[in-house]
Amino acid sequence: MSRGPPVSPSVEIPEEFRFLCMLHNVGATNPERSLTILEIAKWTDKEEPTIKDYLRKLQELGYVQLITSNKSEKYCVSVMGIRKVLTLYS
Amino acid sequence: MKICLLSWEFPPRIVGGIARHVFGLAKALTKTGDEVGVVTLDFPGTPDYEEIEGFKIYRSKTEVGHPNFLTWTFLFNHFLEKTLAVANRDFNFDIIHIHDWLVAPAGIGFKHLLNKPMVCTMHSTEHGRSSLHSPDTHMIDGLEWWACYEANRVIVTSNSMKGEICGHFHVPSEKVDVIPNGISPKKYEIEVDRWNVRRRFGVGDHEKMVLFVGRLVPQKGVEYLIRAIPRIGGLVPQAKFVIVGEGWMRSHLEWLADTSGQRWRINFTGFISDEDLAALTKSADVLVVPSVYEPFGIVALEGMAAGVPIVASQVGGLAEVIEHDRTGVFVYSRNPYSIAWGVERVLTDPGYRDWLVKNGHETVRKRFSWEAIAQQTAEVYKSVVGED
Repeated sequence: MSRGPPVSPSVEIPEEFRFLCMLHNVGATNPERSLTILEIAKWTDKEEPTIKDYLRKLQELGYVQLITSNKSEKYCVSVMGIRKVLTLYS
Repeated sequence: MKICLLSWEFPPRIVGGIARHVFGLAKALTKTGDEVGVVTLDFPGTPDYEEIEGFKIYRSKTEVGHPNFLTWTFLFNHFLEKTLAVANRDFNFDIIHIHDWLVAPAGIGFKHLLNKPMVCTMHSTEHGRSSLHSPDTHMIDGLEWWACYEANRVIVTSNSMKGEICGHFHVPSEKVDVIPNGISPKKYEIEVDRWNVRRRFGVGDHEKMVLFVGRLVPQKGVEYLIRAIPRIGGLVPQAKFVIVGEGWMRSHLEWLADTSGQRWRINFTGFISDEDLAALTKSADVLVVPSVYEPFGIVALEGMAAGVPIVASQVGGLAEVIEHDRTGVFVYSRNPYSIAWGVERVLTDPGYRDWLVKNGHETVRKRFSWEAIAQQTAEVYKSVVGED
């Protein structure tokens, strides 16, 4: 009988997901309240390259959206991202 | 009676079962002649105020945030207090009914400010969800105790939860009422093109659909279902698995599915609309509820109402909602082999399947209608209004 797949090394909340929660908790949950990378760095106390890496991953998954206006790039959590965050809190 | 329902989630802000619970309760209380105001948090695309099915909804915007979860929680409670004040000017509420610790600070403040009774429904506990492993979880545990202490009466949805509340928080037994969750069977009285729905979710006409619905978090036990898939695939080669829901464990569960050698059998849908969920549930061959902690287990009731047989862990509220071999099949929690046994039993015996579906359908209509639950809740309200 199959014993099923191996046990994963650990089941920790992924770092990019913790980062998504932070974006959500500071209120970046709609385009009007989207934040620049500099603003996100201030809120989260993380380095810019790390933030860019997280944002890229989260954008690919559809949890974060990029808002471009007046040559500035801002980010906010998408509706799908909000639902993802809320699953942790219930 | 003028009732305020305070909840951090309310449709379309759906996190777990609380949103649907508060909606069902608000609707049923309104039907019996009570005036109901729901105070909740906002969600993209929703208005600050609206009326649905005869009750009023006030949504609060949290204007100031903070990356820390607990700090954010206290901030949104402040904004909820502001919205409560607005709603109370319209209503002059007789009672406030809070749902879980997340809104306890606002509810307790409101209770003392207006000298009105407060009822608290505890849908689950941090002790049960996480076993209190960090300072944050201890703080949430303290807030849950505080909500129970301040409440004039505490409502829980199962005897299992009553035991947890009385044992862990030392709440006197006589202060706690058990009122189950309800469901709306009418939601499933819809025409569904079963084969089309199944095809949309990757299940062929000659295949068997095994459905999971829930948050992808450890307490829901979905990893044990995924670990059971190789075994189930061996017993029922035409089995396909549809996993509905979102959660922080999703990437881990997809990894687990990838390494099972059975990835082709499994479809992770993410969050889907209520309409799709009802159609999908009606189209499934079996619904598996493999929870390791479940204060109630409303998803099992939804399955019974939709006419799908249930295979569930014998834990918490599920052990009270389901009757083994009559309205569902119990399996051991955290045990893939037991899950595989239960699923195979249902999928390979049509007579047994029909027997479970028939009994489940009858039970859900008799015991878990929102009308009955609203009536029991109104009795709790009556017992405390005028008490202070």
